[in-house]
Amino acid sequence: MVVVAQLVERWLVVPDVAGSSPVIHPMDVVSNAASSTDVEREAATTSRSAPDLPWQTVVWNDPVNLMSYVTHVFRSYFGYSKPEAERLMLQVHNDGRAIVATGPREEMERHTEAMHEYGLWATVDRIS
Amino acid sequence: MRIEPEITGVLIELTPMERRLLATLLAQYDELVHDQLDESDLSGDPALARLFPNAYPDDDEAAAEFRRYTRDGLVERKTANSGLISAALTGASDDGRLTVARDDAEHWLPALTDLRLVLAERLGIRRDDDPLPENELADVYQWLGELQWSLVEALD
Repeated sequence: MVVVAQLVERWLVVPDVAGSSPVIHPMDVVSNAASSTDVEREAATTSRSAPDLPWQTVVWNDPVNLMSYVTHVFRSYFGYSKPEAERLMLQVHNDGRAIVATGPREEMERHTEAMHEYGLWATVDRIS
Repeated sequence: MRIEPEITGVLIELTPMERRLLATLLAQYDELVHDQLDESDLSGDPALARLFPNAYPDDDEAAAEFRRYTRDGLVERKTANSGLISAALTGASDDGRLTVARDDAEHWLPALTDLRLVLAERLGIRRDDDPLPENELADVYQWLGELQWSLVEALD
């Protein structure tokens, strides 16, 4: 650990071209984890979903973010209770994705942008 | 490394080597986010694509518009977050102790996340079951994870 400072000199900036791979689409990562019925069930159980609020912010699983950090973000940004934040975090972890907010499009984009600032993988979806 | 909650914030004690390492990573991060963003589209570097995810994977037009409206602000806030850590490191006392206010510590977290996201990409960690290689960079990655985990614990 203590000898690495010199070694990392350019590792962050210059991509390892040989080792790099194409960007993985979120759907590839979750594969079959979220079927359309799952999505419908999620949408139905999201209490704030309504016909006039047809958009949602979805957070996707990634292999990097710590579970405690994701929970922390859901609590501090959305103001969710600890149990609710943990439930959503586990849903992301286990199912590959979770709907963290539902509402008007602009608001969902604002949430998505905020998630990107936190380093979470988020997308905007129209509720189908 | 020692992280402890304090009344007004968080005590962060790092060795000189740890501080140097973190400062080096942050400088490279700023370079990556600022310079490379200007001159290349994100498809050239998966790490950048991960720092600025596609908000509309199924709608190219909406994705481009989202990017147009959010990118500059995100770059600004991401580099402000990393700058906060850099400034704190510069201001550390000789014994390596920093007392970081809660609000500031909250801004450390996303910056540490972004560092880990870039390192993970360089290490080939893209799925949950990808193994962590055995090398110095992986040690750095794990050390950052430990730092972030301790910081979240101290803040929660």
